[in-house]
Amino acid sequence: MESLKVLWMSTGLANFELGQVIMMLVGCGLLYLAIARNFEPLLLVPMGFGAILTNIPVAGFSEVGGLLHYIYYAGIDTGIFPLLIFMGVGAMTDFGALIANPKTLLLGAAAQFGIFATLFGAIALNYVGLDFSMKDASAIAIIGGADGPTAIFLASKLAPDLLGAIAVAAYSYMALVPIIQPPIMRALTTEDERKIEMAQLRHVTRVEKIIFPLAVLLMTIFFLPAATPLVGMFCLGNLMRECGVVDRLSSTAQNELINIVTIFLGLGVGSKLSAEQFLNTKTLGILALGAVAFSIGTATGVLMAKLMNKLSKDKVNPLIGAAGVSAVPMAARVANKVGLEANPHNFLLMHAMGPNVAGVLGSAVAAGILLALVG
Amino acid sequence: MENLQALFIEAGTLMLAGMVFVFAFLGLLIIFINTVLVRLAKKYPDAIVENKAQSKKNNKKQDGKGVSPAVVAAISSAVTQYRQQHSAQK
Repeated sequence: MESLKVLWMSTGLANFELGQVIMMLVGCGLLYLAIARNFEPLLLVPMGFGAILTNIPVAGFSEVGGLLHYIYYAGIDTGIFPLLIFMGVGAMTDFGALIANPKTLLLGAAAQFGIFATLFGAIALNYVGLDFSMKDASAIAIIGGADGPTAIFLASKLAPDLLGAIAVAAYSYMALVPIIQPPIMRALTTEDERKIEMAQLRHVTRVEKIIFPLAVLLMTIFFLPAATPLVGMFCLGNLMRECGVVDRLSSTAQNELINIVTIFLGLGVGSKLSAEQFLNTKTLGILALGAVAFSIGTATGVLMAKLMNKLSKDKVNPLIGAAGVSAVPMAARVANKVGLEANPHNFLLMHAMGPNVAGVLGSAVAAGILLALVG
Repeated sequence: MENLQALFIEAGTLMLAGMVFVFAFLGLLIIFINTVLVRLAKKYPDAIVENKAQSKKNNKKQDGKGVSPAVVAAISSAVTQYRQQHSAQK
């Protein structure tokens, strides 16, 4: 009889707590979004599954000795996984459109306003009883950079307790770019502005593409060493792509390596989706602030593009400003789609890739500033 | 409340410093691209572009004979590929 009792006590049914059941349902929700709705499936599948695993009673996945515990501390707490992902992103990024039209860097810079404006929102939530410090606020605000690895990297350094909610918010909003951005883009532009056709981009030579990542790294070393982990890995990946002599390494960085790391990154982030860390009012605040950050970033990017269109001798379609929030390449595709709705002969995709990759650089620089000043 | 006020001031300073720095950093990159990279591009143009320009000239001459540029490009890339494979086998 005693052994039957011990056996019962070792079952999941006897040990389940309500919070764990809710978080498992959240994990199932993430799996549903990934599988049925195709929302960022590469990350949400391992993340959703990680959320289920970490909430299994008795198994102790996220306790010392558990698999997810070690994955988190080896890869995310140290910052290694987001940085490896950033190297892969660098290997997948073509700076050609940016080098051909360098003024689009200003659009990438303007869209970072969403990050810094959200700092105020996070602090303001202290009035309604949420206790966000400046470090918490900075980690939440980086969601506006619309860059998953950057958000995870910064959150792991500044506010590890909020990492799960921040990662879920960042990837959810990136998946929702086609829904969040178009209304803002339409509201801030006129029909005529959306119809603007831009001049064809010039050819960018191989030498330019090789020198560019090295120059970005050099500038980061000089002016913002705190951002060199992110920018350095990004530039390494990009240099491997462009130099043309290490195609095997470039291919590994943008395929096998990034895929392997994505599995572990997703599981590691999922391990932070435990009931005690996720089921609180702070999570709601983070989800709301993430949407605000994203929307402000989109708006300031479009407004900056409108200003450039007024001042520049070459015409600039303001829609490409929305791509400044990064979220590569989804935001550029959205700009292209909204442009095509206004003018079926207007293909903005290549023009939008400029501010899009500028946004990646901009959010890495913004993360470096927050790390240097708050971390 | 005073603590919150101090946090707001800190957030304002961060915003100002952050935006100025992001614009300055990316602005410097614009200057770099417009000065250094553009000159480098003129000094070291891509070999492929030169070939394309040459083939365009050649195509203009052959236009009268009715050979389309696409066909010429396809044949020349096939020949290059064949030569590369042939030399690799050796």
